[in-house]
Amino acid sequence: MLPLLVSQVSKTFHPSKRPVVEALKTVSIKIEQGKIHGLLGPNGAGKSTLIGMLSGMLLPDTGKIEIFGLDIVSDTLEAKKLIGVVPQEVTYEMAFTVREVLHYFSGMHGVPSHERNARIEAVLTDLDLLDKIDERAKHLSGGMKRRLMIAKALIHKPKFLILDEPTAGVDVALRQKIWQLVRRLNQEGMTILFTTHYLEEAEQLCDEITLINHGQVVREGNLKDMQTEFAQNSIHFELFDINVPHLAEVKSIGVEFEYPLTDLGPDMHALTSHYTGNIKSIKSGAASLETIFLELTR
Amino acid sequence: MTYMWALYAREVKRFQKIWMDTVFSPIVSTILFLSVFGIVAGGQEIGGLPYVLFIYVGLLSMNIVNSSFSNPAFALVIGKNTGTIVDLQLAPLRPWSIGVAYALAALTRALLTIGLAVLVTGWFIPELGINNPFLLLLAFSLTALEFGMLGVTFGMWAKGFESLTFMTTFVMQPMIFLAGVFYPIANLPAPWDTVSAFNPLHHNINLLRYAVTGYSDGNPMISLVVVAALAALVFVAMHLSTKKKMRAL
Repeated sequence: MLPLLVSQVSKTFHPSKRPVVEALKTVSIKIEQGKIHGLLGPNGAGKSTLIGMLSGMLLPDTGKIEIFGLDIVSDTLEAKKLIGVVPQEVTYEMAFTVREVLHYFSGMHGVPSHERNARIEAVLTDLDLLDKIDERAKHLSGGMKRRLMIAKALIHKPKFLILDEPTAGVDVALRQKIWQLVRRLNQEGMTILFTTHYLEEAEQLCDEITLINHGQVVREGNLKDMQTEFAQNSIHFELFDINVPHLAEVKSIGVEFEYPLTDLGPDMHALTSHYTGNIKSIKSGAASLETIFLELTR
Repeated sequence: MTYMWALYAREVKRFQKIWMDTVFSPIVSTILFLSVFGIVAGGQEIGGLPYVLFIYVGLLSMNIVNSSFSNPAFALVIGKNTGTIVDLQLAPLRPWSIGVAYALAALTRALLTIGLAVLVTGWFIPELGINNPFLLLLAFSLTALEFGMLGVTFGMWAKGFESLTFMTTFVMQPMIFLAGVFYPIANLPAPWDTVSAFNPLHHNINLLRYAVTGYSDGNPMISLVVVAALAALVFVAMHLSTKKKMRAL
């Protein structure tokens, strides 16, 4: 049973007095058990709309979404029990303490009252928040509030965790801690889907990625295979002076340039002859996710 | 049931956290109204009932309606503004159980507010008694749940505090004042007496007043049927609104 199977899902918004937005156009995604899957795309690509539908917060116009075989539309309640969601926006109950937030939220996810204290303490220990258990949520720092959001998603021990930009706005140390937690949860058997704008994060954590742009899947699959595929066909280089005449085949990708390869020897000779003394670095082998991302989403 | 009761407990905790606003403030307004009307119309009677007792039950009924409506409506609009509404959308809760949890919390707040109000102010009214305890319990519960569910329905649709203020100021308050809180509707000139008889709130107040004092401004059984029917109708509206809005906010 797959943790997530999205088949031909589409979603169009019809806001009043504003143009119609076709947020998703027949998107299909499959996530296998025990994987960390990255959902990447530029702003407005449709990631949050998709996550809204996976979480049962939005209804798809067409298509089907299954969580461990349960239809998110017809078996909403059972499907919701299996997922934990960290929304992009940090929200908290102004008047409640960390303990109270987790106590009521876990109850709303079916955790019996006699189990709640132990669960709350365990999850807060994992997230280095135990000493803040009786603090009001509104008095926590930004990073702590973000961790509280993660604690809420984990409190009912979901089998499938959805993280919508969990490390946005957190410092480097906390980001590392969140990465460690994600890896550990994954090793314990949890399947994880997350979106991020930090491509190195996806590169560090993900087994597989799906790239979406303009509401469509532009590429999905194993990250290593994708890197190899892109690397086979081109090399990437940086120049000291970029304001020089370029070879016709050269394309600019961020701060780098890409040169397609058809025959390694003659092509390399042509490149190095043209940019003699101006090449700062040159890379072959696996393409970076940034390169793949920019290539596929431009 | 853990799911629904946890939400109920959360909503009870919420109003307890701000008890000065939610519980104490209505008690103060009751004392003020009672003081003014007690002085102005002291000694007068309506249908053999001391006017101060007539208005006292009316004021308590008004508090039941206001507390029950405000509790879920404000909680939901605040949730939309702060983004915490997402907690409801993510939880595996049936739409009707979300509404019922909020409505039960509204009933709890009304019970606490009215209980304290009677404790604090009851000694002003020596004639205060209970004509029909069972009917009082029924009328109280039906009224609080009806307006609690109405508050949920409105909270689901309201876009912000402006909508909420509009509803309370321009809809709820006129309805309350034309429902017979301060006078019997039979004393009104035509056609306002007939118009007031069709004000749904009139039946809630009439039923509560009959249960406490035995005085009725019309047939109390008709009021009971109307209140029960309205509660059922509001339940359906609440369920449909919650079902729609929990997947569209």
